Amino acid sequence: MEADDHALVTRAKAGDANAFRALVVRYQRKVYAVALGIVKDPDLAWDVAQEAFVRVHGHLGDFKGDSAFSTWVFRITTHLSIDAVRRERHSQRQDMDDVQEAELEEGGEGILSTALGNDPRQNALRRELAGKIQEALATLPEKHRTILVLREVEGLSYEELAERLEIHKGTVMSRLFHARKKMQAALREYAGLAAADGPEGGEDGQGDG
Amino acid sequence: MVRAKSDCVRYAPMIGAREGELSTEEARALAAHLEACDACGARALDLAATEGLVSEALLARAAERDFAPFVDQVMARIGHEAPAPRGVLSWLRRHWRGTAAALTPAVAAVAVFLYVRWEGSQPGEMALLEFSSEGNVSTVIQTSDGPVVLLDDDDEGSGS
Repeated sequence: MEADDHALVTRAKAGDANAFRALVVRYQRKVYAVALGIVKDPDLAWDVAQEAFVRVHGHLGDFKGDSAFSTWVFRITTHLSIDAVRRERHSQRQDMDDVQEAELEEGGEGILSTALGNDPRQNALRRELAGKIQEALATLPEKHRTILVLREVEGLSYEELAERLEIHKGTVMSRLFHARKKMQAALREYAGLAAADGPEGGEDGQGDG
Repeated sequence: MVRAKSDCVRYAPMIGAREGELSTEEARALAAHLEACDACGARALDLAATEGLVSEALLARAAERDFAPFVDQVMARIGHEAPAPRGVLSWLRRHWRGTAAALTPAVAAVAVFLYVRWEGSQPGEMALLEFSSEGNVSTVIQTSDGPVVLLDDDDEGSGS
C-alpha cells in the first residue's frame, strides 16, 4: 500500500495528474472523516478536505518521504481543520487539561460496558450509539474532538499525538481522558443510561481508590 | 482515601494506552491499580466497549456521502480539468479533425454513388460525372448495367 503511494507520489511530483488523482481518490474519504470529526459541519469538512489535497499538491516538491504520504496528508488535514474551527468559533472555555479529583467523582463508569458488553442487543445498541457519535462529538470542545479523532480515526500513538498537537505526552493522556469521559457521558445520555449512581463503590472513595 | 484518589488521578488517563506507549514501570503500576480499583476497572471496560465507535461512525458518514465530484473539484482547483467523459460523442468531440479527415473519402464516395444513381435512375438515361485527382481525369457513367468508371481517357473501355 505504502509502496504504491510512494510510486504515485513520485509520478505526481513529475507532473502526472493521473497519479495525483489516484492519491486523492485513495484518501479522500478518510481525510474527509478526519475533517468532519474536527470541524463538525459536513460542508466545511468537504472544503477542508479539498483544501488539504490542494495544499498537498502545492507542496509535493517539499515532501521528502521521511514519513508515510498518508501521515503527511492527515497532518495537513488536522492543521486545516483546527484552523477552520478556530476561525469560526467564538471564545470557548474548557481549556483545562489536568485531571481533577472532582471529575473522577462524577460517576457513570462501567454503565456503558455493562449495557454493551453481554447484552444480546449489543450490536443494536452499538449501532444506535454509532449513529449518535457525530452529535456526541459535536458537544465536545475542539481540542477534545481533535485528539479523539486523531487517536481513533487516524490511529496515532501518544507520541505521534504529542508531536502533531505540539503538547506533552502527559497532556495527551489527560486530554484523551477528558475527551473520552465527555464522549461516554454523551453516549450514556443518548442511550438513556443513568449515570447517577456509578458503579458499585465507584463514588465513595473506595471505588476510586 | 485521599491517597487512593490521587492514584486514580494519576492512572485513569493511562487507561487505553496501547502496547509500548507506557514505560514498563507505568504499565506495571497501572495494572496493579486496575486490580485494586473498581472504578478504574469500570473505566477500562467502558473504554474497551466503546473503542472504535468514533472511527466507525465517521467513516460511515464519509461512506454515505457521494464523493463522485470530489476528485474532479480538487483537480480543477490545482489546474487539471477532469478527464472528458467516455462515450462516442465525447470521443468525437475530442477527435473531430481526424474523424473528419478519415470520413471525407467515404462521404465523397457515397455522394458520388447517390448522384450517379439519381441522375441515371430513368431507363435509358445515362449520368455523367467527371472528377479529377492529381491531374488525371476520371469519368463515371451510369449505364443500364450499372455505373462504369472510366479511369483514363486514353484507355477506352477499361475500368468498370
